Amino acid sequence: MTVTGTYLLQLTLNGITLGLLYALIAVGLSLIFGVMEIINFAHGEFLMLGAFAMAFALPVMGLLYWPALGISIVAIMLFGLVVYELLLSRLRPDEFERSILVTLGLSIIVIHLVQYFFTANPRLVDTQFGFEGVEIGAIRITWTRVVAAGVAVAAFAGLYVVLRHTQFGRAMRAIAQNREAALMIGIRPRTVARNAVVLAAGLCGLAGAAISPIQLVTPYMGQFLIFKAFALVIIGGLGNIPGAIVAAVALGLIESWIGGFFTIAWQEAAAFVIMILVLFVRPEGLFKRGGMRVG
Amino acid sequence: MKLAAALVAALAFAALPFLTSSNYILGIGVSALIFTVAAAALNLIYGYTGLLSFAQLGFWGIGGYASALTVVTFGGTFWMGVLYAALINAAVALVVGYPTLRTNRHAFVIVTLTFALLVTLIARDWVELTRGPMGIPNLPAPSAFGHRFANTSDFYWIAWAFSVAMLALLYALCSSRIGRTLIAIKQNEPLVRAQGISPMPYKLASFAISAAITGAAGGVFVFHLGIVDPLILDFYYMQTFLIIVIIGGAGSFWGVVASGVALSALPEVLRFSPDFRMVIYGVILVAAMFVMPSGIAGWLRERQVARLREALQ
Repeated sequence: MTVTGTYLLQLTLNGITLGLLYALIAVGLSLIFGVMEIINFAHGEFLMLGAFAMAFALPVMGLLYWPALGISIVAIMLFGLVVYELLLSRLRPDEFERSILVTLGLSIIVIHLVQYFFTANPRLVDTQFGFEGVEIGAIRITWTRVVAAGVAVAAFAGLYVVLRHTQFGRAMRAIAQNREAALMIGIRPRTVARNAVVLAAGLCGLAGAAISPIQLVTPYMGQFLIFKAFALVIIGGLGNIPGAIVAAVALGLIESWIGGFFTIAWQEAAAFVIMILVLFVRPEGLFKRGGMRVG
Repeated sequence: MKLAAALVAALAFAALPFLTSSNYILGIGVSALIFTVAAAALNLIYGYTGLLSFAQLGFWGIGGYASALTVVTFGGTFWMGVLYAALINAAVALVVGYPTLRTNRHAFVIVTLTFALLVTLIARDWVELTRGPMGIPNLPAPSAFGHRFANTSDFYWIAWAFSVAMLALLYALCSSRIGRTLIAIKQNEPLVRAQGISPMPYKLASFAISAAITGAAGGVFVFHLGIVDPLILDFYYMQTFLIIVIIGGAGSFWGVVASGVALSALPEVLRFSPDFRMVIYGVILVAAMFVMPSGIAGWLRERQVARLREALQ
């Protein structure tokens, strides 16, 4: 295979899009871990439901991308709220293993209910953009990818502003940094935790909706993505949001490059191999954690 | 007392082929015996040492492939295959376990989960070795001393002997000083360090032993199925082991063994549709975590303690 600059650039651009979508998922996980110190195993299913919501909303909306995206995000935020009130709010922060088993159970229930009702057949999601793309010289990127990357960047910008400059976000960071001190100054952990879960669910719904025109939509799509998101959260340092974003974009790029030259098995193995190497060198993750950092 | 009861139960299980000739029931018996071993191995790492390991699924699959490949590709015997399955898994567990156990228990859970998913991907995508999604069908029946264990009732003996041997091994380990050290690590690791015990070798050893036993169980199980393909790494197996351990009571040896035998029959009772069955599994898992977090054994122990307290007053 001849390696041309164009081919490399194409791989790089695809990798960035992929990485930004990974980052959306990983950030949600980090957010929930930072505030509640639990790992949400059902996070991939939030994403899958987002993709399904998009797949159902698009035909209703006459294939218009933006309204369908909005509907999906709101739907997944509501789902997140229900999950929080029903299950997560009953967990205490020190019950790590229990939180995993509960959310694992939830993930099993959601996957198989979706498969039962909507079958496991992969769905191809069509949008107003179809399969058209932008062409810059010899490089071609579909609009759906461009929009997905743009939406992800916008979401990070929004998240940064929220966490940095609003009372809502400050409360979240306060809880992540020091739970007792936050309690003392009158921050209610329950409200903050609920906000964090809903926010993370929204990001995940966004990722799922944005990914659905790019990948095939199946009930199992969340499981394969969440596995990478977990690796990213470990590489970046648990609870560290910028760390997770950097790790996610880097992984997207590495995967895309590996995928361009080697077989698919290596592409899938990359996340795990990198994670093990990082743990050897820096057991705390690449970017050391100190409370929840946003910048 | 408990040992005597266990001995009676083991002999009762040995009598099963004399009571029935139904391959269906004997097949469930084989699954029950092997699942109980795998669940008891999970109990060693999760219930005793307090490390929730999802890597068990990966070890189970690696064991299945190792024993099948030993026989089919490399021309060894079934017995060598099971032995290799155990040894390979112990080695893999040491390699994965060493960097992972240096981190906190949060990272351990996630790394073991990614490991299990990675094994699934390798089983599917490394077609030259594993033959990909097609799998390796028609595994030959094991034989020893000129006797071929061709039908289910013969194979039942292998499963029985294997599971009795492995459970005895695990029991010896769990009730020894090592087992008590593991429980101490779970309950209070800083205190264990203060007593001059380094937790790392204990954790690593329990991870490796649990991996080896799970792998050997997987190696035996694929010969019961007669085929190994990426479905051996279906998350269903991990859920089954987890539910057995949680319902039985993590950290209780006999609780897990009893629930292993009882719950292996459950999937057979719940044969509506595979999806619906998994939904029920999920509901059981969530409900158990809220209603009975320490399992039946834990619930019994709590009641016993409550009765003692009443008697004291």
